[in-house]
Amino acid sequence: MVRAALGSGRRIGQGPRVGAEYIPAASVVVASMLSALPMVSTSGWYPDFGFLVLIAWRLLRSDPWPAWWAAPLGLANDLITGAPIGLSVALWTATMVLLDLVDRRTMWRDYWIEWALAALLLLLNETVERWIAGIMGAPVALASMAPPLLISIFAFPIAAWIVARLDRWRLGR
Amino acid sequence: MAPPRPGWSRRAQYGLFFSFLAVVAGFVIGLFLLVLSLVAPNTFQTVRGAALDVTGPVSGALHEVTATAKGLVSGAGNYWDSARQNAKLKAERKAMLQRMIEAKAILQENRQLKAALQLRERSRDAVAAGRIVGSSLSSPRRFAVLSVGTGDGVRVGMPVRSPDGLIGRVIDAGTLASRVLLISDRSSIVPARLLRGGLPVIAQGRGDGTVDVRPLEVGRNPFKRGDIVVTSGTGGLYPPLVPIARVVRLDDDGAIAVPLADPANTSFAVVEPPYEPAAGVPASSDSAETP
Repeated sequence: MVRAALGSGRRIGQGPRVGAEYIPAASVVVASMLSALPMVSTSGWYPDFGFLVLIAWRLLRSDPWPAWWAAPLGLANDLITGAPIGLSVALWTATMVLLDLVDRRTMWRDYWIEWALAALLLLLNETVERWIAGIMGAPVALASMAPPLLISIFAFPIAAWIVARLDRWRLGR
Repeated sequence: MAPPRPGWSRRAQYGLFFSFLAVVAGFVIGLFLLVLSLVAPNTFQTVRGAALDVTGPVSGALHEVTATAKGLVSGAGNYWDSARQNAKLKAERKAMLQRMIEAKAILQENRQLKAALQLRERSRDAVAAGRIVGSSLSSPRRFAVLSVGTGDGVRVGMPVRSPDGLIGRVIDAGTLASRVLLISDRSSIVPARLLRGGLPVIAQGRGDGTVDVRPLEVGRNPFKRGDIVVTSGTGGLYPPLVPIARVVRLDDDGAIAVPLADPANTSFAVVEPPYEPAAGVPASSDSAETP
């Protein structure tokens, strides 16, 4: 033990960063803020950054934040992205409950199952968004849902990687 | 990965139970807010405006950076390609001069005809000019964020155009920034007409950056590839003769057109008052066009 302590000085005094328990939630808000970047999209095929980072955190660990934090995080996302207020609040809390249920049922987890789960959640997110848009007088063709869905499914591993790195950094590992 | 079992601790059990209650409460509140914003879209106008005031200037400041970077890149490209561009521009200029003389003649004739008819020109002053600094990136709706707000006189319902053509109309207004419903949004319907022949048509967005144009009278498909669609001024919100879109593909009873004013490449967008003042009342224009 002494030898290990002498060998690498950086192991000493290492631990969670200050405010480590708030970093996951903060990263979700930052991801939502990406939609304030000065990019103008005529097709709307960018992934839903906030939701992507939210499910990446929740699939990585069961306790990134108390589950009810999803409601204020969703409200922030609604306000930042200009979605109808309440859409992400309801959707994100429902996602939390859903993933708690899934956690009870699944016997084991691997990367492919997580990706499949994420794909299902993204499909749910996209469908509800489209359904609400239809109610608000903008019914979009079903075919136009496919490209953004595929893009966000393929963007999930990137989000998961970033979130895993962030998790290691915040815990000081 | 299983959720934490509380064990025998009463405190932990209650904590878990109350956090579950909080999640359910959050979900119910979310549903309530959602229903409220569906049934009464004007409820959250001030909140949404305030949120725009927070994010709008951020986008605006970042926009300067990206515009400068883009300008440097395209500037270097132009320099590289200057010989070929020069020749092309010379040819274009020659063609343009001819067209300009024709246009001048037409303008003169037009003025004489109008004088003969004693038509009064409606003067339209721009309310404000701003830049498009962002847009909805991941939603079936097509919105853009404009860098002017109520502080500059912008009100909900005002039409927005650029030198290239019609962009849309204002749906949320903060003090410093406003949100524009683009003409490519599914819920945007613009009364229009074909520039060639003047046939009345309807231009409705498709949600993917293009516009669906259909003739008002059912019958033979009147469109050809390359046709320009302009606003007709019917309804009184949009001013007449603003270019909207160019037809790129025909389908069975209409055509698909691409907006002439690309919001991604528009440097300045001008907010105008509603063409006929009566059309500017937000409640009526909203209920008429977005249910």
